Parts: sequence; structure tokens; C-alpha cells
Amino acid sequence: MDRRDALKNMLAFIPLGGAFAGITAMGFRFITPKKRDVTRRIFTMHLDELPINASRQITDLRGKDLVLVRTGEREVKAMSTVCTHLGCTVYWQKDNQEFYCPCHAGRFDKDGNVVAGPPPRPLETYHTEIEDDNVFIYFKDAEG
Amino acid sequence: MGLGAWLKQSFPVDQDALIELTAEPIPNHLKRWWWALGGTPLYMFTVQVITGIMLVFYYVPDTDKAYDSIAYITYTADYGWLIRSIHRWSSNIMIASLILHMMRVFFTKSYKAPRDINWMFGVVLFLLSVIFGFTGYSLVYEQMSYWAMQVGTGIAGATPFVGEWIADFMRGGSEIGQNTLTRFYIFHIVLLPILLVMAVGIHVYLIRAHGVTELKFKGDEDVEKKTFPLWPDHVFTELIMVSIIMVLLLVLSILFPVQLGDPANPNVTPLHIKPEWYFFAVFRWLKITNLLVGVMGPMVFIGILFFWPFIDKFFDKVFPGKEVGFWIGVLGLLTINGFTVWEIFGH
Ligand code: HEM
Ligand code: FES
Repeated sequence: MDRRDALKNMLAFIPLGGAFAGITAMGFRFITPKKRDVTRRIFTMHLDELPINASRQITDLRGKDLVLVRTGEREVKAMSTVCTHLGCTVYWQKDNQEFYCPCHAGRFDKDGNVVAGPPPRPLETYHTEIEDDNVFIYFKDAEG
Repeated sequence: MGLGAWLKQSFPVDQDALIELTAEPIPNHLKRWWWALGGTPLYMFTVQVITGIMLVFYYVPDTDKAYDSIAYITYTADYGWLIRSIHRWSSNIMIASLILHMMRVFFTKSYKAPRDINWMFGVVLFLLSVIFGFTGYSLVYEQMSYWAMQVGTGIAGATPFVGEWIADFMRGGSEIGQNTLTRFYIFHIVLLPILLVMAVGIHVYLIRAHGVTELKFKGDEDVEKKTFPLWPDHVFTELIMVSIIMVLLLVLSILFPVQLGDPANPNVTPLHIKPEWYFFAVFRWLKITNLLVGVMGPMVFIGILFFWPFIDKFFDKVFPGKEVGFWIGVLGLLTINGFTVWEIFGH
């Protein structure tokens, strides 16, 4: 068999190459994590447990902390404590009324706006709803 | 049939090829040990493979059990603290000697053609080693591990366009959890070792194919023989270096055994958080830049390092005889050292 013939014979293996590429693509799909976007409505607490201007820390479905602040008679704000820079958790510092992130020294004010440091966005807030004096939050659950 | 004759027949070895293989001429300057730093990371990797396989005997890659299994290794298993400490110290020496080796190659301009591609394999080796360190550190699943994973995957996630996919791929989801630990474990003990062994193989093959760059020193002119053979002369130098490093490794591991911090707590980032020393410069950089610049900076740096032989060639063409490459190197080194020192003493 000379080289030309050999090359021609190789063409017969194209389907094999195709099958191989297909399986590779499936394998790639397999190791890519599945995602779905589900928004859940979760009960957090009764309004009585949260006096006006007070804040409470609770844990969301992923086990991450978030803060509930009662900003008015029938107004509750829910704020994530996950830093928007690279995902560390922030500390509430009473003295200067700021959230402080120990990872790269990001600072947020009490409403979650960036005051200093590298974080690109304010702290994430969750949509809240009060129904019969019960506080609910809408929480995005991305795990598959 | 005598034993010797039988071996020769059943396990034939080409004597001449063996002699040729081990008689590789080595330039004289490699008698000075600081020119022979390239072997050190390889010896350290061997130590990593041996101690790493031992650690796998007890380590459990489960988010609920990983920390306890390391505690068992550290406090209960006989000499577990020593094996673990050697694994940790050896990883540090591996990366430190890689950095020194790269500096040596850089400042002697040994990356020039035809060794340009081999320099690139060197940069890949360095990256693989750093990822080794990062994934290994994470396996402990103590507080620092968890938050290093958080920040590390966060950095990957902030890369334009491909970042989200990469971060999700690393974490095995959008949050750090069991999938993340499993993936890091597989990277650390299966994929990275395979990739590293392949890259080292190519690196060493290319070194042999090109030969070591000959360098001229003052006073060398009158030396007649410019090279010496790999066996036995160079092997001897290397053996002495290995002995010194092994003693150093043991002394460090015994005097400063690796500690075990608090178990991972996804809700509380420790107030004082620091990565391993080789990430200090990047860590400081992240503090003083915005997210995009912070993340792109180190990547651009790695890109420049990777393509350096060609960038340097370009500078030599545009500014002949001006040593631009050398001064960029000095500047880069001073910057990284400056950032590292800043991170050590600043807060
Ligand atoms: C085949 C090779 C390797 C295997 C099987 C292996 C295995 C392991 C295992 C099971 C652990 C968790 C146990 C522990 O933390 O004590 C670990 C941790 C670690 N590994 Fe490796 N490893 C290998 C190579 C490497 C290399 C090449 C490096 C670095 C360049 C490295 C760096 C680390 C680090 C920094 C830790 C954390 C050490 C600690 O705090 O205890 N490993 N490795
Ligand atoms: S993660 Fe909060 S400042 Fe970087």
C-alpha cells in the first residue's frame, strides 16, 4: 500500500471519528454542571419579631446568611451578606455603621451601597413581601 | 545459562545507547549549584507523589468528613503529622525553587530560540504547580481552604465571557459544596499529576534535544574542556543537592509542622485571611484594583510570561542593544516583590 492509498483507506474511518467527536461532546456535557433557575418564596418570620429599624440575621436555603431589616411600618428589606467582589461574607461593624469584608477590605453602608474597596456592586437584595404580617422573601435557587 | 547471559537475552539493553544517554555533555557552569536549580522541583514532585499517595490512604473527600480525616492524620495516625508536614513543605519548596529556576533562565536569556517552546512548557509547569498547591490547600476543608476556594473560583468567575462557565465547572454548580471538593480532589490526585508528568517529560526531552545553553564567564576562556559528562559528574552534583534539600525538608517539617485551623464555615469569613505566600502579590493587587482589572492583571502577566521569548525578540529588533527585556524583567520582579512585602506587612 503506498501513502496515497493509505490516505484513501483512512477515509473509511471518518464515521469512527464522528462517533468519537459525538461521545466527546456528551462527555463534556456530562462534566458541565446542570443548572436551573427556580425562584422560591420562603417564609422568614412574623413582623412582630422584627421591630421597626431592627435587623435580624437568618440563613437561606443554601445555608448562607442574609439580613432582614425592617425599614418601615410595612416595609422589610432583605440583604445578602455575601460580598459582591469575590464572595466572602461581610461583617456588620456597629461603630461606623458599615459592612466590612475581610477578604479585600470592601466596605458597604447600611443599605448595602459600596463605600470603599474593590466590590463592583451593592450587596444583593432579595424581593420581600408581607402577607398577613408574615415576611416572605423570594429566593433564587440555582442548584440542579 | 549463567544469570548474566540469561538477563542479557531476556531483558536486552543496548549498552552503547545507555552510555550515550548518560554521557550527555553538561556545560561547566552547571558545577555551580545555582545553575542546577531545575532539578529541585522535580525531586520535590517525587516527594509529593510518595507522601500524597500515603495521605490518600486516610483522606476522605467528603465535605462532612474531610476535615476530620485530616485531623485524624494530624493527631492520631502514627507520623501522620510528619507526612502531612513534608507534603506541605515540599510543595512550598517546589514552587520556590521553580520561581528561582525561572529567574535564572530569564536573566541568562536562556529562553531564546531554539528554546522558546521549552520556556513555554516551563511556564505551564509553573502554573500546574500553583494549581496543585491551590487544590491541595482546599482539600483540608478548614476555614482558609473554604475561603480560598471561594475567592479562587470567584476570580475565575470574573473572567470576561468564559468566566461563569469556568467557575461553574470548577465548583460543579453555582455554590461551593460536595461537587467542588470532589472535583478539586480529582484535579489534585489524578488530572494534575498526569498533566505535570507529561509536561515534565516534554520539558526534559527538549532540554536533552537542545543541550543546556553554554554561558561564558570571566576566567573560563583558558579552560580547555568546556563540558563534563552527565554521568558521573553531574549526577554527583545533583545528589549532593538532593541530600541538602531533603535534610532541609525534614528539619522544616519537624520544627514547623503544618497546623490545622478551624473547620470550614460557609457563613463566616475569618477576619484575618491570607492565602499561601505565592499568592500574596495577587491578593494585594485584588485589594487595590477594581474587579475586572484585579482579575485580568494576573492573567495578562501570565500571558506575557508565556509569550516572553517572542516579546523579547520583538524588543531586541526595535531597540537593538538596549536590553529592554532585561529591564522589564527587573521591573516586574521588583513589582512582585514589592506587592508581596506589602501584603506581608500591610493589612
Ligand atoms: C500525585 C501527587 C499528589 C497526591 C496523590 C496528593 C495528595 C494530597 C492529599 C490527599 C492531600 C490532602 C491531605 C492533606 O492535606 O494532608 C493533599 C494536600 C495538599 N497537597 Fe497534595 N498530592 C500530590 C501532589 C501535590 C503537589 C505536586 C503539590 C504542590 C505543588 C501538592 C500540594 C498540596 C498542598 C499544599 C496540600 C495541603 C497540605 C495540608 O495543609 O495538609 N500536592 N495532597
Ligand atoms: S471578597 Fe469582599 S472585598 Fe473581595
